[in-house]
Amino acid sequence: MSSFLDKSRTIAPGAYQRFIVPTAALAVHLSIGQAYAFSTFSLPLGRLIGITQPVEGDWTPTDISWIFSIAIAILGLSAALFGRWVERVGPRRAMFVAALCFSAGFFISAVGVWEHQIWLLYMGYGVFGGCGLGIGYISPVSTLIRWFPDRPGMATGMAIMGFGGGALIGAPLSVALMAHFKTPTSLGVAETFLVMGVIYFIYMIFGAFIVRVPAPGWRPQGYIAPTTAKRLVTVGQIEANEALKTPQFYLLWGVLCLNVTAGIGVLSQASPMIQEMFPGLVGPAGAAGFVGLLSLFNMAGRFFWSSTSDYIGRRNTYFVFFLLGILLYGTVPTLGHLGSRVLFVAGCAVILSMYGGGFSTIPAYLRDLFGTMNVGAIHGRLLTAWSAAGLLGPLLVSYIRQYQIEHGVAKAQAYEVTLYIMAGLLFLGFLCNFFITPVKESHFFRGVAANE
Amino acid sequence: MTMKLIVPWVVVAIPLIWGVVQTLINVAKLFQ
Repeated sequence: MSSFLDKSRTIAPGAYQRFIVPTAALAVHLSIGQAYAFSTFSLPLGRLIGITQPVEGDWTPTDISWIFSIAIAILGLSAALFGRWVERVGPRRAMFVAALCFSAGFFISAVGVWEHQIWLLYMGYGVFGGCGLGIGYISPVSTLIRWFPDRPGMATGMAIMGFGGGALIGAPLSVALMAHFKTPTSLGVAETFLVMGVIYFIYMIFGAFIVRVPAPGWRPQGYIAPTTAKRLVTVGQIEANEALKTPQFYLLWGVLCLNVTAGIGVLSQASPMIQEMFPGLVGPAGAAGFVGLLSLFNMAGRFFWSSTSDYIGRRNTYFVFFLLGILLYGTVPTLGHLGSRVLFVAGCAVILSMYGGGFSTIPAYLRDLFGTMNVGAIHGRLLTAWSAAGLLGPLLVSYIRQYQIEHGVAKAQAYEVTLYIMAGLLFLGFLCNFFITPVKESHFFRGVAANE
Repeated sequence: MTMKLIVPWVVVAIPLIWGVVQTLINVAKLFQ
């Protein structure tokens, strides 16, 4: 078994069809993307004892919200910590370990539900699941970039699109399973966790089974690697630790963190926002549809924007995110006041497409600036920006909103200032992107690249 | 080689399409 997982066993034969590799990445990302649908468990977890309504002893919404927060924090930390290991052992072993961690997270959480011990959910879905998320997220990225040197944005966009799509599968799957296992004395959450742990393990192992790395020196037919650098596309290679010594890494960290924080500003309050902005017109079912539509655009944007970046460049793509984002965050409240439901929904949908695009374009941006040698490890370290945004974004949004409501601002208008502040964050992101310049040659790796 | 390419794409496409359809059913409720 161990030899099957070795990197040497994953080297593709000569006539290998490279378009098989994105499916391996999709299998993993569609699975771990379930994390975006964790909120479907929030209400049932809060009434495990009371069943029909929360009673004393049931977990509070704050207790439950920590499960997802821990998972996102561990995602970033594990991606940063294990990035170099993933580069060293290759995608198959990394995907295998990610599958073990992610499914173990569900199994431990199932025990936690049976025993009604919240710490087991923190440990299970939060820590183990978070490790599965982090390792699984970065495991196919550098492999895809090496398979598609001619279209790195499109390739990573396909994989990371899967993470957005995971919520579209995870949400209805968990709802259907809980409905199936529900009894008068149980909400079926533990059984759902068990079944999901098994399903996702099988699906991720399928990805690990089919993934291949290109043979050393492999190039797509007709592709000639550039020998002269474009303005922001390096011909050098930068080692992961060396990348941390460059201002470009921290500017990109800011770009990702600010883009994600602004997106979370809409995503985390989408359901109540549309209901309170269009009272009487949009109810809970319509709001669920709105959240679903945002998820669709979050997914589609990941593929669309990163593929577009292959043509217009990564820096220009982020300029579009930030400038169009500022415009939309500034006008969406006005569209709400005008009572234009379609335009309001369309504006939010475009915002979410750029939120997704921000995630999927980053690996190709890193590859442009730092080369392919350690791009997976550098990407892993950059994902701490996501953790920071995932923890701070919702806190910032809820704090601003609460502050305004306490000071007499009407509920529907409280979103307005929040969205304007998000536009301000996007301006800071614009500045970070503006100051990104090519990495100095003094940072280039002078030895023999081990991962090529 | 063609089957080796098609089968994995079918395996990942089926759940994704199912998820998209389920989501679109919800989206329809937004404009009802």
